[in-house]
Amino acid sequence: MNPLDCPRETAVVNAVLSGSWPHACDESLVAHADVCATCREVASVSILLREDSESSRIETHIPAAGQVWWRAAVRARLESTHAAARPMTWMHAITASIVIGAVLAALTALWPVLPGVFTTAWSAAREFLPNPQVAIAIGNGLRTSLLLGLIGAVLMLLAPLALYFVFSDD
Amino acid sequence: MRDIALTDMERLGALDEADRTFQMTEEAFRSFYELTARPVRVYLARLTGDDRLADDLLQETYYRFLRTNATFDSDEHRKNYLFRIATNLVHDHRRKPFMEVPAAAIAEVPDAAAAAQAAERTARRLDLHRALKRLKPRERSLLWLAYAQGWSHEEIAGAIGVKTGSLKQMLHRARHRLATLLGPGGRS
Repeated sequence: MNPLDCPRETAVVNAVLSGSWPHACDESLVAHADVCATCREVASVSILLREDSESSRIETHIPAAGQVWWRAAVRARLESTHAAARPMTWMHAITASIVIGAVLAALTALWPVLPGVFTTAWSAAREFLPNPQVAIAIGNGLRTSLLLGLIGAVLMLLAPLALYFVFSDD
Repeated sequence: MRDIALTDMERLGALDEADRTFQMTEEAFRSFYELTARPVRVYLARLTGDDRLADDLLQETYYRFLRTNATFDSDEHRKNYLFRIATNLVHDHRRKPFMEVPAAAIAEVPDAAAAAQAAERTARRLDLHRALKRLKPRERSLLWLAYAQGWSHEEIAGAIGVKTGSLKQMLHRARHRLATLLGPGGRS
């Protein structure tokens, strides 16, 4: 016989779990457990676990079946709503990417023309200014800040999109 | 994270949908729940040692069970599947430390005449909890299913996800460890 198990081990567990161990069960089984180390160990462990299990079942408070069903139903609905919203989130993301791409493409295309437009506009505006030195100072200032202004505009466009991606689910 | 909230009407609609979404009707679920909820809850509590976590895992266990597409040959098969879900959920939490069951969690017996007996029983149970705490989660599962639930080796193997052949040795080792921890008088 394998020293790890005993053929009467199951009978011992069943007797303990049915509550007949040791007085109301087969006497030969109890006598066997006295001499069989495996069955003795099985009996001692089973008695403790059964006692704990039975007491715990009485003490344990479980939520009502209807409550568990209700929570599961609401969660299933919520998950299906999330699943349904997922393609919309993807559509928003794709649209945002297209808009960003279009803006960047427009900026790239217009970039070589911008200095010319700026110079023409500036020449037209300079005629209305009373003092040429004031006009030159304003012109220099505008040239320096044009690049910064463009970078600022791009960042202002990108910031809400970045926030959107950070806080969206997908 | 963006939150999608359901309106009250949607919540009511969820109940109508549930019979179609879940693998059993509400009536069938109620019967099944009444039969299985207590043993599953106690099993979860013993495996985790945390009553609050056991409550959460109980809800999660039944939710996953209701959403499953598995087919069941019998009620036994259904019950074993439920315990398998519970076991897997506990193993997902195994990195978290096993918390001792507070003594207050064990109900006090108001009858003064039975106080000595109750105190002895409470001490035995606390010793058992302490000893279980020192076992691996899988060992706790094996011992509980075998000796508190009285499951066969085949049933346990199905629930734990191990081969029946290696189960005997694992069970023997776990039982011997527990018996050693409890000591000759059943004290850890």
